[in-house]
Amino acid sequence: MSRPFPYTYISCPCANTPVPDPSKKRRSRESPQKASSHYDPDQPNPPPRFDDSEDEQTFDPRAPRSNFSLYPPEHLLYCEDCHQIKCPRCITEEIVCWYCPNCLFETPSSMVKSEGNRCARNCFNCPACTAPLAVNTLENVVQGGTSQQGPWVLSCGYCFWSTLDIGIKFDKPTNIRTQLAKLTATDANGSRSRQMSRTFGDLKSPLSTFSSINEQFHPSSGEPRAEESPDQPSAPLNPDARFHALKNFYKNQISATSSFSSPSDPLGVGVDFGGPISSPRAIDRIMSLYASSSRLNSLYSKKPKTKPPVMREALTVNEGLKIPTPDAESMRIQRMAVDECGWDGLASLEQRGFQSPDARFVEELLPLATLLRTKRAKRCKSCKHILVKPETKPSSTRFRIRLIALSYIPLPTLRPLMPGPPVPAPAAAVVTSHNTNLNLNLDALPPLKPTQLLLTLKNHMFDPVRITLATPSVTPGRVASKVTILCPQFDIGANSDMWDEALQGSSNNNNNNNNSTSNTGGSAATDQRSSRSGAAATTATSNLGIYEKVAEAGKVWDKGRNWTTVVLEVVPGTLPSGNGGGGSSSSVTLQSRNQTPVQGSSKKDTDDDDASDSDSDTSSFGAGKVPDWTGQAAEKQQQQQASQEQPLQPDEDVLEIPVFVRMEWDSENQIDRPGQGAAGDIVKRELAYWMVLGVGRIDPSVLG
Amino acid sequence: MSSLRHGHSGTPSSPHTPQHHLRSNNSSFASTTSSTSYRGEEDAIIFELGARWLRAGFEGESTPMCVVGCGPEECRRVGDYRGWLKTNNPDTDPGQLRPLVNAEDWASAYELWKMDLRTVDLGLVEDKIERMFRETYNKYLLTDAGTSRLVLVLPAIMPHPLLSSLLSVLFSRWRFPSITLLTSATMAVMAAGVRSALVVDIGWAETVVTGVYEYREIAVKRSTRAMKALLQETGRLLTNIPAARGGKAQSSGSGDAGISVRFEVCEEVASRFLWCKPRNTPSTAESTKAEPDDDEHEPTTQHSSLSSLLQRTVEIPCPSNPGSAYVNLPFSTFTEPVETTLFATGTAECELDDEEKPLPLLVYNALLALPPDVRGICMSRMIFTGGGANIPGVRQRILADVAALVDEHGWSPVRGKVIEQQRRKLANLHPTPDTNNTTPTEPQPQKPAPAQEPQDSDSDSTLDGEDPIEAKIRRNNRDTVAPPTLQGVLREVETLGPWAGASLTTSLKIRGLVEIEREKYLQHGLAGATRDFEAHAHVPDRRSGLRAGGGGDRSSWTLAGWG
Repeated sequence: MSRPFPYTYISCPCANTPVPDPSKKRRSRESPQKASSHYDPDQPNPPPRFDDSEDEQTFDPRAPRSNFSLYPPEHLLYCEDCHQIKCPRCITEEIVCWYCPNCLFETPSSMVKSEGNRCARNCFNCPACTAPLAVNTLENVVQGGTSQQGPWVLSCGYCFWSTLDIGIKFDKPTNIRTQLAKLTATDANGSRSRQMSRTFGDLKSPLSTFSSINEQFHPSSGEPRAEESPDQPSAPLNPDARFHALKNFYKNQISATSSFSSPSDPLGVGVDFGGPISSPRAIDRIMSLYASSSRLNSLYSKKPKTKPPVMREALTVNEGLKIPTPDAESMRIQRMAVDECGWDGLASLEQRGFQSPDARFVEELLPLATLLRTKRAKRCKSCKHILVKPETKPSSTRFRIRLIALSYIPLPTLRPLMPGPPVPAPAAAVVTSHNTNLNLNLDALPPLKPTQLLLTLKNHMFDPVRITLATPSVTPGRVASKVTILCPQFDIGANSDMWDEALQGSSNNNNNNNNSTSNTGGSAATDQRSSRSGAAATTATSNLGIYEKVAEAGKVWDKGRNWTTVVLEVVPGTLPSGNGGGGSSSSVTLQSRNQTPVQGSSKKDTDDDDASDSDSDTSSFGAGKVPDWTGQAAEKQQQQQASQEQPLQPDEDVLEIPVFVRMEWDSENQIDRPGQGAAGDIVKRELAYWMVLGVGRIDPSVLG
Repeated sequence: MSSLRHGHSGTPSSPHTPQHHLRSNNSSFASTTSSTSYRGEEDAIIFELGARWLRAGFEGESTPMCVVGCGPEECRRVGDYRGWLKTNNPDTDPGQLRPLVNAEDWASAYELWKMDLRTVDLGLVEDKIERMFRETYNKYLLTDAGTSRLVLVLPAIMPHPLLSSLLSVLFSRWRFPSITLLTSATMAVMAAGVRSALVVDIGWAETVVTGVYEYREIAVKRSTRAMKALLQETGRLLTNIPAARGGKAQSSGSGDAGISVRFEVCEEVASRFLWCKPRNTPSTAESTKAEPDDDEHEPTTQHSSLSSLLQRTVEIPCPSNPGSAYVNLPFSTFTEPVETTLFATGTAECELDDEEKPLPLLVYNALLALPPDVRGICMSRMIFTGGGANIPGVRQRILADVAALVDEHGWSPVRGKVIEQQRRKLANLHPTPDTNNTTPTEPQPQKPAPAQEPQDSDSDSTLDGEDPIEAKIRRNNRDTVAPPTLQGVLREVETLGPWAGASLTTSLKIRGLVEIEREKYLQHGLAGATRDFEAHAHVPDRRSGLRAGGGGDRSSWTLAGWG
């Protein structure tokens, strides 16, 4: 994970409601042969679609689908009407304004489309490295009082690409986009303007080209080759011009064929296509409007036997036909192979993404106008209430409405709890620790060694919340870690006024007040502790190592005004042996069977740090592991036998704990409903969701 | 569409006809009254979906706004930015050796779907589609999703569960008023400006050769020799570069070994440097006795330059750690995967399965499956599309190879020694004046037997042999009948691609035959589609995927070719 450990993700509850397949309804009702033939009941469908028993099913953070439902808590929204978390999947968005991220200039909605969603001014991105381009002058001669500024170019400050590389200079430093459009239009195809005028000629008399077809009949030998010179292998018409030529051609054809025999055809363009439309048909239609007797129709349907004109195909370059010259491809190969081209002379896939489809070489890349961005209002998909509404001004970062989920659900934070007398973990001692203030290296959690974590939930609501946490005792997946929440049920105080706390902070028993209202279980112990740690608990991260407390089951670790900390005990599982079988020296245990088939590949697969690989403890850990597991998860292991064979998948060593959070609170009913009384009603609310705690990476050097 | 049927066949009207006419009648006013076009001012948005890429843009534009992939990077969790990190990232960290990955898994992480749905998690596909569409709208299209009509360009064959997933996601996630489906082959033809063509779509999982006649797909041949296999082959090639594995030279043969190179690196190399040798007569496997006639457009200077081309070396970033080191490879290396994958060089033809025919043979077979007149038209309108068509040299090579096949076998599917002997005997008996593949050894007294071998010369001789009657017909109605169309010679026509074709089609206000209304779909899903749409009378029309007229019948909808 790129997020630094430890991290928390929240799974939007929408993941449990699969996309409704409307045809399922139909199948149950009366299954016509088409439905049954396409939706076999015994057809192997992926399990997540069908078992909707969401309460039973443990959320697997490693399932490929969960990547799409997990969000960092700060990305989530909350709908006050549905009382539900809303992720980007369960909202609809409406664009408030379009703006250029470079010049922050707002583009009116009427112009967005015509400008191709790109900045119409001077904002360009480098085609080679996507950095913003600057408009620079080539010469800056000061003559007398007036400074003479020469032609301008766009240049990249990052990779030093400039439009000089593609031979483009601008006369003015403004309106670069239109200048560029003009330059490229004439550059890429010298014949575009001529081309357009010719197609307009076609428009006047659609059949006039017929006489000239014969000389243009072999376009490959005629015009395009003449235009094509070795140093300009671009097409006679660039794709854009070709597209418009084709469009004109089709329009002409459609109007010609449809109006040929019935000039008064009011339907004009595009009524019929892929086939002729003739006057008998048109009359036929009108007749059938008034009298749809089959006799009449049979009468009229004889008429179309006279063959109506058929739309023909494009025959000339001007109509959009393009016959590639046979040597165009070999020319390209030649160009690829020359020394001065090389790897860097060829455009990468990323660079070609937004360029003309013909662009293959870096020299053919054009500067790209900056894509516009949008500010979007967000609505709940189910109830259409606005969740986020930003200010329309592009430069303003304020929001008129913003219902972020973190004001409603407790913010989870996780940090490791250092044991009182710090026992140096063997692996952690070897590895140079990244997190200096922590003794525990979260990038190399020692397997099979109990680790205690502090999970703090911070409430941002003005109501106290009762939380119930649940977690599977063994994390799903191949790396089975045991997880225990020492205190799964607790309360979090309301997010009362800061001022209250400040006032009571001096009296040093603020926690007592909170606890007396809500805390039920183990309040005495907590009170004692929190009063001991006192105000220092709020800055607990700074003095992490100094706890001398011992985590007790069923007791809250620590508690503040609007937060509560509980202890999680985790025993990280061992990584499957497929990973580094070469490391542990030929163990004869049950695991070795799994090892052998992948021996060949696993040898090449070295680990993060070869230094700790030679740890002598490994085999003993592995041997000790086996009897433990056969008792508990023997059949699970049987199932996983096949999957055990695979080498370690990416991120499989990350210890992630799915935690089911259920929160209950009494809230004032703020929405005035007609039937109900004043806005003072107390309503019981509850919210449940899955949360994923990313603890760290399991040390790969210790193998099972 | 109905008018077309009547216009061409002139069949007496069936009992269905009145209803039909009513239907087209509606269509004439559909532009104003149809429920789908109440937002007439909004342009339809066109998505072209394939197994790898999604192209999206507005109708009437020549190129899509964006091309979006769906690799692992796009499938990460929100807030997981490790793709941007260069350090401490096992995917980009050059210090770590990458394990060998099974070639199938290696590629499958990057595809949106597979045709083999047994291993596909449709829920995952739905998730990916949802995210791709959402991000496309938010980043590139910059318009509110779901307000305007949607046009999907899809491959002609889609498994129904997949299609159902796709449509369900789109309809349930956003409020698209309607979704129109168009086939990619027909759209490629449209974007080439022709009405009939042979579309060679060198796609991701399959190469599909489709014979399209008058916008109708009439013959389809498929082969698994496509970009996926090509990339896997390239990956193996790069893996086996000695420097690629950090000095540890790989001893294992290419066989089915895994791939250690990153997919992105491999694709980058493939997209930049893969090329295809022009046809050189002795090396190709399928024709040993081909005449050097098909090289007339490649002068001999090309051959000398080709040999110098093969001598060159190019420098590519070292596949194992692209950031730091470079390796020099002969330029000829980069033609090997193309040769072995797409053209099956080095594999005897008898060893090839039906689904893995080399591309020239596939094209030839597809042409062979077409009726002769259609074949003549299609062979001079070959359209190459798909990712593989961008490999320089591939198109010319396929054309040359097909030409050689035609020279060798004519248009006859019958092969074998005995047949060859008999044919030679027959040829000796009556030598035809315009021989194309057999040369008569000694002239024999002629016997008029015109019915015996029409298949040899039907398509090739149409161009030169001017029929006096045809000429007369043409003279008589010069103004109504289209000019003579070029046919019978192998010729390539370039297309702007299926996306552009759909954009053209949509902007001309031509409606697809498959237009799925939101309400109708949400009621019954795919099962609501009428299958017995005009029974069998309109089968060819259904294949075209285009509907004449604007509206059509609103009460029922069809899946046409997808049904």
